[in-house]
Amino acid sequence: MSAVHVAGVSKIFNQGTPKQVDALVDVNLTVEPGEFVSLIGPSGCGKSTLLRLIANLLEPTTGAVTVNGKTSAQSRLDQDYGMAFQQAGLFDWRSVAKNIELPLELKGWDKEKRAARAQEMLELVKLPEFADLMPWQLSGGMQQRIAIARALAAHPPLLLMDEPFGALDEMTREYMQGELLRICAETKTTVVFVTHSIPEAVYLSNRVVVMTPRPGRITEVVNVNLGANRSEDTRAADNFFSGITAVREALRGTHADHANAGAVRGVEDR
Amino acid sequence: MTFVNRLRNLVVPFIFGVGFLLFWEGAVRFFHLKPYFLAPPSKILSQFFDNASRIWEAASVSGMNALVGLIAGTVFGVAMSFILSRFRILSSLITPLAIALNAIPIFVLVAVLNNMYSITSEIPRRIMVSLVVYFIVLVNVAKGLTQVKTTHLEIMHSYAASDIEILRKVRVPNAVPYLFTALKISAPAAVITSFVSEYFGGSQNGLGSRITSNIANSKNAAAWAYVLGACLLGLAFYLVSVVLENVASRGAGATNNTNK
Repeated sequence: MSAVHVAGVSKIFNQGTPKQVDALVDVNLTVEPGEFVSLIGPSGCGKSTLLRLIANLLEPTTGAVTVNGKTSAQSRLDQDYGMAFQQAGLFDWRSVAKNIELPLELKGWDKEKRAARAQEMLELVKLPEFADLMPWQLSGGMQQRIAIARALAAHPPLLLMDEPFGALDEMTREYMQGELLRICAETKTTVVFVTHSIPEAVYLSNRVVVMTPRPGRITEVVNVNLGANRSEDTRAADNFFSGITAVREALRGTHADHANAGAVRGVEDR
Repeated sequence: MTFVNRLRNLVVPFIFGVGFLLFWEGAVRFFHLKPYFLAPPSKILSQFFDNASRIWEAASVSGMNALVGLIAGTVFGVAMSFILSRFRILSSLITPLAIALNAIPIFVLVAVLNNMYSITSEIPRRIMVSLVVYFIVLVNVAKGLTQVKTTHLEIMHSYAASDIEILRKVRVPNAVPYLFTALKISAPAAVITSFVSEYFGGSQNGLGSRITSNIANSKNAAAWAYVLGACLLGLAFYLVSVVLENVASRGAGATNNTNK
């Protein structure tokens, strides 16, 4: 059973009005359990829309999304996935521990069980002594680690991330990438990760899904397996750079579709 | 360093205030200003202490009207903001009206309200204060309930949270600072409305009506003494609202602007 199965999905906003936007057209994607898949592409390519369709925060116009063999609606009700965004989105009025406990509260867990799990998650993200602090007392990177801890608190099999490191500085960002890989390996979580950074996608992923806009669709899927033991040395390795080149070429359409080259000119090569 | 700054922040306005009063006193004496033109601070202060019990009585009447109106207006304002945030169509109908009413001096309505109740009734004044407070609280709290971060809503939806859960865990906590902002604006407005509504008839028992009656009798210094009482009452309301806000935000840990 695949972790995520997207079959023939289209998403059209404001259908039949002058403001109609074809956000996604005929998208097919399968993510296997334990896989790390990145969605990359320029603004307007529908990568965030695709993530929200998987999360059932949006309904597809046509096609079907299955998560863990259930409809996406059912898997949302069952909290089969956790989600993290570019803004950590911590609640200012809740302590760090209470933020992590939120999904468990909604599941109706009792107090002791919640507190124990929150502490376990804090240890997972290496911030065990921060339980009683308020979110604004933490740095941006720490807040994002708490957001990941919250997303994984209920031990969901799937983690959906929408540019979670987009607001962090480069140093913190690389550290967070390493931490995310470690956490996902420890918890055996499947990840679908939206980014517009090519090196980030290559470093983290088993597969990079390259998307283009107007209309949003998948143009190519690049396999980049840098192995299980990625470290800082990986960032200087030849296969890292060849992965970056492959994704960049796919984005520019040099060996796929020259007609789209103009549309992807705004891509950042971070 | 910070202590010195703090001291300076206190001392400078204090010196300025004392200097201003001395200048006032000196000007009255030097130019031999008539008491009906401008009373000297020394005279006002002695009038204040001579009439302390009467000023206190009048202040409790006006203060009670302001307080009852403040509480009633807040309760109704909060209740209505919940209804508005639930039914957006109502909100789009009522919010422009509330903002418009907020911008005009609606306390003149007390003249109409006075006709509806007996001449000695305090109810029209209290209704008037409630109305003023109601709109301030309504507009602010409704904003707090509806202007929630998109990320927060998406997170709650990803947890399949119900509308009630989103209300309890996101909208209400988000609206709390807005409520205290509204109270900080409403508290002085309630006191002012309470005074002003005494100018439109009814019992001559509050600070506002005492000020006018003393001026009518050319007891200028006494009128000023009541003005001083009015200032102190307004200040007391404001300070209480500020203290309440501090207590609440410390409880919620939401002092994020001061300690980043």
